[in-house]
Amino acid sequence: SLAMFGTAQADEKVYRLKLAESWPTNFPVFGDAPRNMAAMAEKMSNGRLQITIDSANKHKSAFGVFDMVRAGQYDMGHSASYYWKGKVPNTLYFTTMPFGMTAPEQYAWFYYGGGMELMEKVYGEFNILSFPGGNTGNQMGGWFQKEINSLEDLKGLKMRIPGFAGEVLAKLGASPTNIPPGELYTALERRTIDALEWVGPSLDLRMGFHKIAPYYYTGWHEPATELQFMINKRSWDRLPADLQEVLRVAMRTAAYDMYIQSYHESAENMAVLDKDYPKVQIRTFPADVMKALHKANNELLAESAAKDPLAKEILDSQATYLKKARRWTDISDKAYLNSAD
Amino acid sequence: MIGIIMFFVALLMLIFGFPVAFTFGGVALIFGVFAEGPDIFAFMPFRVQSIMENVTLMAVPLFIFMGIVLQRTRLAEQLLEAMGKLFGGVRGGLAISTVLVGALLAASTGVVGASVVAMGLISLPVMLKYNYDKALACGTICASGTLGQIIPPSIILIILGDVLGIPVGDLFQAALAPGLVLIGCYVVYILIYTWLKPEAAPALPMDDDLTHRHEQYIRALKAIIPPLALILVVLGSIFAGIATPTESSALGGVGALLLAAIYGQFNWKMVYEASQETVKISAMVFAILLGATAFSMAFSYTGGDYIVEELLSDMPGGAMGFLILSMVAIMILGFFIDFVEISFIIVPILAPVANALGIAPVWFAILIAMNLQTSFLTPPFGFSLFYLKGVAPAGVRTMDIYRGVVPFILMQVGVVITILLFPEWYGLLD
Amino acid sequence: MLIKAERAINRFSDFLGTVAAVLFILMLMNVFIDVVMRYALNEVSIAMQEMEWHLFAAMFMLGVPYTLRAGGHVRVDLVYENLSIRRKAIIDIAGGLLLLIPFCLLVGWYGIDFAHEAWSLGETSGDPGGLSNRWIIKAVIPFAFFATAISGIAMILNSVIALKDEHETKIDRGLL
Ligand code: NA
Ligand code: NA
Repeated sequence: SLAMFGTAQADEKVYRLKLAESWPTNFPVFGDAPRNMAAMAEKMSNGRLQITIDSANKHKSAFGVFDMVRAGQYDMGHSASYYWKGKVPNTLYFTTMPFGMTAPEQYAWFYYGGGMELMEKVYGEFNILSFPGGNTGNQMGGWFQKEINSLEDLKGLKMRIPGFAGEVLAKLGASPTNIPPGELYTALERRTIDALEWVGPSLDLRMGFHKIAPYYYTGWHEPATELQFMINKRSWDRLPADLQEVLRVAMRTAAYDMYIQSYHESAENMAVLDKDYPKVQIRTFPADVMKALHKANNELLAESAAKDPLAKEILDSQATYLKKARRWTDISDKAYLNSAD
Repeated sequence: MIGIIMFFVALLMLIFGFPVAFTFGGVALIFGVFAEGPDIFAFMPFRVQSIMENVTLMAVPLFIFMGIVLQRTRLAEQLLEAMGKLFGGVRGGLAISTVLVGALLAASTGVVGASVVAMGLISLPVMLKYNYDKALACGTICASGTLGQIIPPSIILIILGDVLGIPVGDLFQAALAPGLVLIGCYVVYILIYTWLKPEAAPALPMDDDLTHRHEQYIRALKAIIPPLALILVVLGSIFAGIATPTESSALGGVGALLLAAIYGQFNWKMVYEASQETVKISAMVFAILLGATAFSMAFSYTGGDYIVEELLSDMPGGAMGFLILSMVAIMILGFFIDFVEISFIIVPILAPVANALGIAPVWFAILIAMNLQTSFLTPPFGFSLFYLKGVAPAGVRTMDIYRGVVPFILMQVGVVITILLFPEWYGLLD
Repeated sequence: MLIKAERAINRFSDFLGTVAAVLFILMLMNVFIDVVMRYALNEVSIAMQEMEWHLFAAMFMLGVPYTLRAGGHVRVDLVYENLSIRRKAIIDIAGGLLLLIPFCLLVGWYGIDFAHEAWSLGETSGDPGGLSNRWIIKAVIPFAFFATAISGIAMILNSVIALKDEHETKIDRGLL
């Protein structure tokens, strides 16, 4: 028992990790995920694993988290994989894709359909481990000053919509526009832009867009936005096996927790919107617009796949899995929702 | 602890007169490296990039350029002189005109560096030419250039909206009344001060060749229209949805060149020289931001943010007691810490308490915004003071600026108190 | 010898000022054209929009060493203004050696890694139609900070010359 005591002593060592998040201090929902994760990890490890979180207001670089984790300036990061598209194009596919999987389908792909292995293939090269970091659920298509009734209405549509989805819209003649977040409200209000996408009811209401734009369109471009925990490989290797497991479980639990929290917040805020702003009209793009968007999306993906074998591998994996999973979604949830009305 | 020592060392070093930007940077270096090792500076490129990418800050060089072109073509001088003459025999007409033009600029930008520098370029030389008291001139410019913070659009309000979770539009609306009251206070103060102390702000001489009053006025109106129209076009472009607030400042720059052309003063040499001058002044402003970001980096990574957090986490109960103490705390911290840091580090600590006490969030936000606006003016670290000093003619000393802003700081504190005691005056309790 | 070195550095800093002034004019036109295109023609180019902040950033970053040479960086003159030329020179030498140069060298040093990272990843904009070659604008960080350190050397040389030859009022920095 003396020997046992000795090992117990050694295990009392406290490991401290620093995490940089891409969000401002106390940012709701997104920022709750790393905070919950750190609290769980500390409890489950009996205080041996301590994670301090620096918000974007401290490190000043929401989009530098990848570099800072890679260089070891921070041990961990909480961000979104598609932010690194400009640095490593294949990171784009691990957040969400237009017309892609829903959150349950995508979680199934990550953990049982080969998603985690592919993510490791992309991030391993940069000495980073990446894990799912919480899902926003289906994001709304955005706030519009004008109705979209046909493909014609998309032509010249000035919309703040960053990233790949913007590329899809541009293919149909829309004009994706960069507007700094601080000027978004004024730009939409004064109709400098016609539309913008943000997140969904869980976070849109605090931006006040519902007071200035009449149409709230349903989503197509971010069906299951998954945030991301990142860990520097060396920091991970320094942890004893039991703390690695504690961290893994804490991240997975916090991620799932953010998904249900997003669901809850969206439901709550939607109720507020319905009650206090009955004039806001919920709209869905007409079928021919959706069809054209889907087609443009597939063409762009085919281009990416043709350029890079790893991109092709990821996209094929997602497409195959989506087909399989969607069949089940259709005859389970979709059939139920259609019939239970 | 290191954070606090750092502040006093920086303060001491600043007094020696080495450039402000590099004093901040150098002090950050000494303390940062001492406490954390040189690797702390690996964070600097990220911070520099976040300033480089901050497109709202593009308004700074663009407004400076507009100011310089208006100054070189003497259009700004004509505007202010003509406005001053419209006040006829009233003393302080130039200062009042400065407040009004400053308020217009404030309505098209929320970037303090942009409006203080532009006003400094446009109106300081004119006021000095007419023998205004230096302190009065400097105080008026700093205060009216800083109005951009409370008059929408405004960066403070956008950040506070984000931190407190209030729609930006609500805050913009709520800030209007307090902003107008502040402008009114400035004007009344200038009237009273110049009435008591006539030599501080002589009335402008009327043109001798014109005998009738109304001819004077007509001439003045003619001089006012072009530059005033320019400023209104800048504002109008935002309201008409033609440009974002930042972009509108580029319309101002191009418009100023157009005016120069109309008055036959356009040539490429003038454009180049104005551009060179713009570079010099912008670099002065941005070097301060670069030095300050190093300083705040060293401050927060050596644990300064935790000290502040601890100091504030034990606020007493009772809505009024809490409000008064938090306002005093923000005011004192505003002497040392820049408003962005306060908004992000301190406001999140106070917000849940305010919420629990049932304090209306919009009211709380406006109080903080007014208070933070004051922090731009408070010596020793008030950025408006540095900016004005950077563009002021040689005869204007730091002390003139410090003395000049004191009454304006007191007025701002007074307005904060009325918002605290009578929020219903401003329609802040919904 | 000192004078020659100072002059050479000053020419370099002035050159950066000229480049920055041209960048500013381009930036002004760039923003103006973007507004007109969007409003009048419903045309938006993300590349042009990104070019705005590239020009803006390069302009003020290259402006910093130039402004140091031109004496445009603001000072608190509570004490400084009343000092003798000798004392002013000593402050500038000490500040240059202890504050300015180490600060600029250290930021510049870490800026190299920062830019190199972007270069080795082939970093581009993440937005559709955005600019490629992010390393160029990132490389402006080390370049501008090293250039400022070099400009700082000229400031120190200028002060050393002033110490040697007190009759000439060499120092006019910060009193523009
Ligand atoms: Na989104
Ligand atoms: Na403003």
